[in-house]
Amino acid sequence: MSGPMLEVAGLSAGYLDTTVIAGLALTVQAGEAAVLIGPNGHGKTTLLRAISGLITPSAGRVLLDGQDVTGRPAEQISALGLVHVPQGDGLFAEMTVEENLMMGAFPAASWRDRRAAVARVYEQFPVVAERASQRARTLSGGERRLVALGRALMRPSRITLIDEPSLGLAPVAIDAVYEAIGRLKESGATIVLVEENFTHVGAVADAVHVVETGTIIASGPYAELSADPAIVQTYLGSL
Amino acid sequence: MSDRQPLTRSAFPAMTSGRWALAGLAVLLAAAMPLVMTNQYALGVMITTLILLVLNISWNFVLGVAGVWNFGQLALYALGGYGAGIIMLHSSLSPWLALLAGGLVAMVAAILLAFPTLRLYGIYTSLLTFAFAEVIQYVILNDGSGLTGGSFGLPIVPGLYSALSLAASAKAYYWTALAVVVISTVLLAAIGHSRLGIALRGIRDAPAYAAARGVDPLRYRIGAFAISGFLAGVAGGLYVSYDQSISPSVMGLTPMSVYVTMLVIGGLGTATGPILGTILVQLVATLLVTHPGAEFTILGIFLLVVVIFVPDGLAGMIGRYWRRIAAWAAEGEQTETEAADAAGETEGSPDQHVA
Amino acid sequence: MAMTDIVGIAVSTIILGSIYGLVAIGMTLIYGTLRILDMSQGSMVMVGSFIAWGILVVAGWNPALAIIAAFIATFILGALTQLVSVQPLMRRRSAIDFEMVTFITTFAVAMVLTNVALELFGPFQRNVTPVISGGISIYHGVDLPYQSLTMALVSIAMMAALGVFLARTRWGMAIRAVAQDLDAARLMGVPVGKLYPLTMGLASALAGVAGVFLGGLYFAYPQAGDLPLLEALIVVIFGGLGSLPGTVYAAYAIGLIQSAAEVIVGTTWSLPILYGVILLVLIIRPYGLLGKPSEARL
Repeated sequence: MSGPMLEVAGLSAGYLDTTVIAGLALTVQAGEAAVLIGPNGHGKTTLLRAISGLITPSAGRVLLDGQDVTGRPAEQISALGLVHVPQGDGLFAEMTVEENLMMGAFPAASWRDRRAAVARVYEQFPVVAERASQRARTLSGGERRLVALGRALMRPSRITLIDEPSLGLAPVAIDAVYEAIGRLKESGATIVLVEENFTHVGAVADAVHVVETGTIIASGPYAELSADPAIVQTYLGSL
Repeated sequence: MSDRQPLTRSAFPAMTSGRWALAGLAVLLAAAMPLVMTNQYALGVMITTLILLVLNISWNFVLGVAGVWNFGQLALYALGGYGAGIIMLHSSLSPWLALLAGGLVAMVAAILLAFPTLRLYGIYTSLLTFAFAEVIQYVILNDGSGLTGGSFGLPIVPGLYSALSLAASAKAYYWTALAVVVISTVLLAAIGHSRLGIALRGIRDAPAYAAARGVDPLRYRIGAFAISGFLAGVAGGLYVSYDQSISPSVMGLTPMSVYVTMLVIGGLGTATGPILGTILVQLVATLLVTHPGAEFTILGIFLLVVVIFVPDGLAGMIGRYWRRIAAWAAEGEQTETEAADAAGETEGSPDQHVA
Repeated sequence: MAMTDIVGIAVSTIILGSIYGLVAIGMTLIYGTLRILDMSQGSMVMVGSFIAWGILVVAGWNPALAIIAAFIATFILGALTQLVSVQPLMRRRSAIDFEMVTFITTFAVAMVLTNVALELFGPFQRNVTPVISGGISIYHGVDLPYQSLTMALVSIAMMAALGVFLARTRWGMAIRAVAQDLDAARLMGVPVGKLYPLTMGLASALAGVAGVFLGGLYFAYPQAGDLPLLEALIVVIFGGLGSLPGTVYAAYAIGLIQSAAEVIVGTTWSLPILYGVILLVLIIRPYGLLGKPSEARL
């Protein structure tokens, strides 16, 4: 059995003069779905951005499937098989749904490959197929989130980072989103999920990590942490 | 962090007694120049440099400290010059009052210009102020009434020292211009550290935060434009007095690019930046006056290099080396003065955070 | 106003508008993608004019060659300009007033290009052979030189080609993606380090081709880029920074204002009147015709 898919050690990162995460360590095994929870503004999004290369860490290391990718630009890391669905959705608002999907397969060698990938996504997400030629900004929040997830499936990935997929969505939409994430998990993908809303996470999560003031203060299997009353009370509200 | 606070707050936190002495020495040396300089041409270049320096100091305040994309400063300069010149020609008012009047004319125009700039996003202001300058230049150029003299400029203006001999008046103009430079440098440096200056830099660097703190951009912008406009007008008045004429060619893209180069190379927003930049560029210009192509190519490359590698300009760079030398000389002794120096070195350089 | 005047204004509007569009559209492309105002665009026009002079007058070769040579040369110059005057600042973009600093650095590049030309060629205005000479008379007293007509047609064709490039090709889509959401584009694997110089090269090439035609109308000389730069700035800011449709509309609107002013009050007044109009528009509508700069609509 090979090493972990993602290994983060002693990571510090932030913006301009502010350090948001410091000395953070995280390990995610292949095929595992790791969930990051914790209060807002404590570094969950920053962590994802530091892993995917949107920001350069000031200290520490990031290893993707054993390969050191610390400090490499996002374009390069994504070419190595890292997919990051940012907070919001990161869709190109003025492009059509189909163009957004095509962008998802940007590195793909041939036009044919890209079209094949689009067809696969349409099959999985009929809602997305319906809206194919609509501009992304005309879609509802839930639909946009599904497009973002579909776009994430457009190229082969070793690890998928998803930042707050249920943010700002109505319950029905959240169900659809998590159904898609569930299917992704079933296909054997490695997932790192940032989530505030703990309700749906249970079906997907293998490990839970609590991020507070820029480091991980607690980790463990979902079953264990969700049974811990202190954690439940502080972070999870109601299950 | 020192736990001893000074009892009184100096208007110039970056100035130690050592620095005051140095500045005083520099002024004395500068003042002595006309007494030792026999070359009238060189003296003339120096006088022109000093007058340009007043203009650049005024421009630095709006462009650098207040951070407004103002590309109409030359129009204010011209308005001051034409205003003073016309009054000197057509009235019996003292030329000194005419000079003041020129400054006031420019100030009023500057205040009017200030209003629309507030509504505009940064770059748009560049177009607005530039369009303003073009319209002013045009109006002056095509004035049929004979008041401005069109493209020929004003007829001979008596100036401030018409009673003196040529050599004596040159010296007089030199000292007058030097005095204005010193006064405006000190004045603007003091303002820079005052509430107005801090507010302006706050609005420039963090407009949302400034608004949340209740800083009214309108008042401060008008203030900045008024002061800057007045000084630019006075510079224009000095120019028309010394040159005894003025023409629309003082405005335009070419002079503007030279002056902006001076400001940027010297260090936008700093107190000594305009001085360093103006002198350096004038030096290059004078040496290469016969090869304008080479001159501007060199200036362009210099500008590029400075902006990329030394963004706070020569003033910032010198300031930083000065501090390093001072720290080395003190061999790690943390004195209160040094701590204060490190905190408030240059006046509002762009990479400084002002609380 | 006589019919002659109206036809004259209409023809002039189309011609001026098209050439303004060609020069300005590059600036908009650059602003939308890199978020900078490229002040070297004008000097690219000048380079194009000199290349046209070199190929058409000095060498006496085919005009098509001039267009191709100008395109390639200014493409390379534009890419180099990005690498030299913008790329070094990209890393610090959040710590500095990025727009103002790049305004100055690209302006410095323009200064260098203009003055190198001055040193090499002197200040003289050199005649450039028109790509096509002769003309037709459209209406009584309204002459349409073939040069102007070709210029307008080529400009329109190139603007349309740019539109197709952006809409249908992989790199065109990548450019749009970067303009709309830089982070997301990077996450898709778009190599922004290559895309930026490519974009600036493309935009400069458009200006260079414009210069081939403008040289035939207005001579080749070192300062030949000053006026096109100003006009492009006016069009771009007027039309809403970062909006390609807005730029095209604004180009023709400005063409119309200038043409009308020329007919009504004469050529000497037309530019100042244009500036006066701009002053008024900016006072009334601070964001120009279409849209705020935050909404890049490439």
